[in-house]
Parts: sequence; structure tokens; C-alpha cells
Amino acid sequence: MTVFTDVVCPFCGCLCDDLEVTVEDGHVKGVKNACGISRSKFLNHEKNRLEAPTVDGVEVPLEKAVDAAADILSTSMRPLVYGLSSTECVAIAKAVELAELAGGVVDNTSSVCHGPTILALQQVGESKTTLGEVKNRADLVIFWGSNPSQAHLRHIIRYSGMAKGRFIPNGRKDRYIVAVDIRKTGTTRLADEYVKVEPNRDFELLQALRAAVRGHELLAESVAGVPREKVTELAERMKTAKFGIVFFGLGLTQSEGRHMNIDAAVGLVAELNNHTKFLLTPMRGHYNVGGANTVTTWQTGYPYAVDFSRGYPRYNPGEYTSIDMLARGEADSALVIASDPVSTFPAGVVRNLAKIPVVTLDHKVTPTTMLSKVVIPVATAGVEAEGTAYRMDGVPLRLSKLVEPREGVHSDAEVLEMMIKRMGGRAY
Amino acid sequence: MKKLILVPKEVTAIPVEAEVISPTVIAGRTLDEVQRLNVYQGKVKLTLADHFDVTGEVAETPAEQIIVVDGDAPHVKYMGAAMDAGRLVVKGDAGMHTGSQMAGGELTVEGSAADWAGAEMKGGVLRIDGDARHLLGAAYRGSSEGMTGGCIVVGGGVGSEAASFMRRGMIVVKGDTAPFTGVHMNGGEILVFGRAGKRLGAQAKGNGGFMACFGGVEELLPTYMYDTTYSPTFMRLYLRQLAETLNVEEALRYLDKPLKRYRGDLAVGGNAEILIAEP
Repeated sequence: MTVFTDVVCPFCGCLCDDLEVTVEDGHVKGVKNACGISRSKFLNHEKNRLEAPTVDGVEVPLEKAVDAAADILSTSMRPLVYGLSSTECVAIAKAVELAELAGGVVDNTSSVCHGPTILALQQVGESKTTLGEVKNRADLVIFWGSNPSQAHLRHIIRYSGMAKGRFIPNGRKDRYIVAVDIRKTGTTRLADEYVKVEPNRDFELLQALRAAVRGHELLAESVAGVPREKVTELAERMKTAKFGIVFFGLGLTQSEGRHMNIDAAVGLVAELNNHTKFLLTPMRGHYNVGGANTVTTWQTGYPYAVDFSRGYPRYNPGEYTSIDMLARGEADSALVIASDPVSTFPAGVVRNLAKIPVVTLDHKVTPTTMLSKVVIPVATAGVEAEGTAYRMDGVPLRLSKLVEPREGVHSDAEVLEMMIKRMGGRAY
Repeated sequence: MKKLILVPKEVTAIPVEAEVISPTVIAGRTLDEVQRLNVYQGKVKLTLADHFDVTGEVAETPAEQIIVVDGDAPHVKYMGAAMDAGRLVVKGDAGMHTGSQMAGGELTVEGSAADWAGAEMKGGVLRIDGDARHLLGAAYRGSSEGMTGGCIVVGGGVGSEAASFMRRGMIVVKGDTAPFTGVHMNGGEILVFGRAGKRLGAQAKGNGGFMACFGGVEELLPTYMYDTTYSPTFMRLYLRQLAETLNVEEALRYLDKPLKRYRGDLAVGGNAEILIAEP
């Protein structure tokens, strides 16, 4: 029996790095310090696995599947490489290289979650921090359109709510928590203050808050369903905090206004820095979606929605983002890595995806593997394969290899390397 | 003027990138050279003649060249991109980036135009008789400078974020606008004769520009403050010029209408003007 300590959890953007995992006879037998979702991921990683590589549903040797995948991508006019947020960074780098070789488009799940965040940050900048700094200093924590009590289960305990820090010795008692949301959630219930905003009206509220922070008197009785007095009071609370942080989620990025909501949030935080220290951090969902953005930026200069069809990288969300391309019927093949777009994309888009040859690298059976022409089973990153992942605040952490994958099963990076070689790319 | 006619052979799902469809690129070449100009479909490099029947005459200079795309080309991107003289007429729908970064000449789309039409336009006239989709005359992602000159006239409605980061130039919309028209605007003029969508002028700083709405506004941001109601002389000049030089005849209906003036966006300390014609 082996006990691994300080194991990094490969589930959500928190990347909790204090897990203890017990391994016996090559199987995970126990997990300590993990949330329910994390524990389930470790203990059930052997269930519902893809058994063997397949082409058109027929089991084939790995080499044949790699050949078929490479042929599809090589002969397509407009291949799309998508996913990447639930694997490690070397695999992401190789996927970008493969997209370049194939003359295709590489996109990651940012385009359906925090892509608008990236757009806004490119437009107006970002005041960044780490979760460690939040733990040690933040006395005002605002959750806006995010519900960590159900999506990032240990966030509040480890970093933003209960945690005792160097300058926050009493933990929860020293912090004032505000939750802005359209409905009551687990997070609004544990917050000191719940601000109920009307659906799709976050932009107006953010703008009004910024104007109030600038000292302007609002004429409207209420903004986005929030009384004027409450807006002014919240603005004052933000200005007088010692260290404030806004954690925002898909409630802000995927509601009406999208990247403009984040633009307004960044503007508000920038304004607050004329008065105190204030920062903001996106609540990233998939555990390495930050890595997908980071690695793609290293290699191409752009974080997602990158087109290589002209031989050099071009970036244009809305044009080269996967949902938009598939909705227009533009892609004529797709390589999906560590993602399940069939479960998450709109129905019309999935219908178009079903019309083209799809190659999928995954460790589990998913609706996407079910409609794929070529399926290649891979090792589970963070359990059966090591690598690096980026936490929601941009801190890189090392994922562990705890158990050996089944014989003949390789990591995402190894399979992608095989495809690159098969397509005539450089081997290294 | 010499006329070159391009007839699209088919509308394809995978778009064709054809920035060569521009008087600036085509003038001074032989017809054979024009037919062999490169276009791209996905990663495949093809020739103009692979996608279009190319006939007609080629002029010596861009200013003497008229190009007519005779049919629907919603799959063709970048037509007229960066053109600086001459005329281009698309007798149907046009694809993304039509007239983007154009610096001169006249481009007419008789149908509708896809996203980013006239993006970062510097000069010339772009007319779209139908609708324009999102990001008309806008800045490309990451850029803080959108339209810096020229004039865009849209016969129908426009999508969201039209004129984002606008610095100079003019956009006239006869139909309705979607949200975030004039977002981050810092100069230039926008005139809307239909109904203006919400979040008009969000984050706009002003710098001498204005947004004039003649068909009402869905909703103003709480960070715009009412100033006054007045009939500015300059607006009558604008409206007359629109009718006389750009055939925007509905402009004449508003010559004597008083305008409500709102100032904002206060969230960014802006001094932009939104002028709303009284019904």
C-alpha cells in the first residue's frame, strides 16, 4: 500500500493540492481531504472506461486508429481541434502543434465558459492575484454570478471564506462576503449580504457601482432591481475594504452582455484601486482550462480560437470559435481531446458535428465518443499520467501519476505525438 | 471606368477568403493574372477562377476600376478589405470582413453583410442595403481603435457592438440597432433612424462624437444623465447632407425635431452625447 501526499486534484480550477491518496495493488483505495466530486473522480476512474481504440465502432490496433485519425485531419480542408481543458499542458502543446500541421483551427472550452473574460481582459487589462493572497489578506469577498458552494466545493473553505490567513487571523469572522446572483444559492445563504440582480442586468449594476465609486449620484430609484441606496452602500463598502476581491463565474460571462460584463467588472475594480486594493479572479471550471489558454498563448500568441489555415496563427473569437464554426457548418472534421462537446454544445451544433468525421481522445465513454468515427482511449491525467495544470489564478501545479494505466493505453500527449509523427511533423 | 464581373460559381459551407476582390489589388494586371490570383478555402490555396467566372476589363489604376460580384457571396470573406479607391458592388449578400480596413473608394452590398463589415475602416463609403450583422465598423479584438474615418450607411438593422471603439467617421443606420452600439466610442458620429438598442454608448468617453437616435431608444444606461432639450444647428446640416449626398431621405423628416441631450458614460467619466429626437 502506498500513500501519496500533496496530490493535486484534477477536477476543478481550484486544483486543491493537499489530497492524500492511498493506492493498493495498482488501484486507488482511498482519498483524504478531497471534496465529494474529487473523491468520486479518483475512486471511480476505472469505471466506464473506453476498452480499445475503434474506427467506425470496430476495435483496431492503436497504430491503425492513429493512422485513421491522421488521415482524416490531413485530408480535411477545415479541421477543428477542440477540448484540452481537462488534460495536462504537454498534451495541450502537442494539440496546438497538430492543429498547425493540419492547417486547422484550435479552440478550447474557454469559448463556452470564460472566453468572454479573456476578450475583456485583452481589451481593458486585469488586476490579478493568487488565491494565497486572498486567503491571507481579503477582508471583502464578492462572489458575482458564481456559486462555489456547489461548483468549487473547497474554494470557500481553503481560500476565500473560512480560511484563516496571516492578516485574517479569525478566518470567516474577519471577512465580509457578498454574493451577487439572480437567485438564492448555497453561496448566497452563507454570505453576509445577498444582492439580487435581475437576470441579464449585471452590466447595468456594474456600471452603476462604478459611477457610485466615482462619486456620481444615481438618479434612478433602482438599478437592475437593486435599490439606489444599496448600490451606494455597496460601493462605499468596496471603497473602504482593506483588500477586496471579486470572484466571478458563468453567471457573468454567459449572460447577456458576456465580455462587456467583464469589461465593466474590470473597470469597476480598476476604479476601486484609486481607493484601496481590489482585484478580480475568474472562477475557472475545468481544472486546466487556464493551462489551455496559457499554453496556446505561448505557442501562438493567442489564448483560444486560433486559425492556422493560412500557415500562421490568426485569432478571432466568433469566427474561429468551435460553436460558431460548427453552427455555420464550416468544419469538415474534428479532433476532440479530453472534452465532451456533445453533452455541452447546443443541439443544432451537435447535429452538424455528427455530420463530419470526429476523432476523440478520452478515457471514458461519453456521448462524443459514441458519435466519433475514431476513438482512442487514453490515460487519465492526474491519476494515470503526470503533467502540469494551471489553477484558476494562473499558478502552475504538478499533477501526479498515482497508478499505471492499462497495458497499451497511453497519455494524451503520447497519442498526439504519434499522430504528429504520422502526419510528418518533427519528432522530439 | 472599366468593369470586371465576378460570378460566384456556388455558395460553399467552408468560406472562401478573397481579399483580392478589391480594385486596389486587381487594377494594373491582365485578366489572366486576375483569374490566377490566390484565394483560400480552409487550408487549400485556390485561384479566383476556381470560385468565380471572371469576365470584363481590368483598369490601369484602382480609381478607374469597378468590380461587380454578380450574385450572392455570403461565404466570401474580406471582399474590398483594405481597398483604397475604385468601386466594388456585391449584388447579393457578402461574407465576413467585407470592406474591413478600407481606406477609400466605394463599396456597395445590395444584400446583407456578415460580421465585421467595415471593421477598423479608415476612409471611403460602405453601403449595405440590407442588414449588417455584429461588429459593424468595430475594432478587432484586442485593438482599442475601431473606425477612424469614412462613412457606412446601412439600409436595414445592425447587430451588436456596432462602432465599438469608434474614433472618427460616421455610421448611419436606417433600421434598428442591437445592444452595445458605440461601446467604448471616443469620437465619430452614429445616426440611427430605427430604434436604438440598449446599452447604447456604454463606456463611451465622447471626445466630440455623438450618437443621434431618431426612432427612439430601447433603454438608456443609468450612467447617462439628462442635460437639456434643444435643436442644434449642426444637426440640420448633417441631416440635409445625409439626404443630399447619401440618399438617406428619412433624414429630412427630423430637420425640426427637438433633441433630448444625455451625457455619459459617467462610469468612465465620459462626456459622450446621446441625442434622442422627441417623437
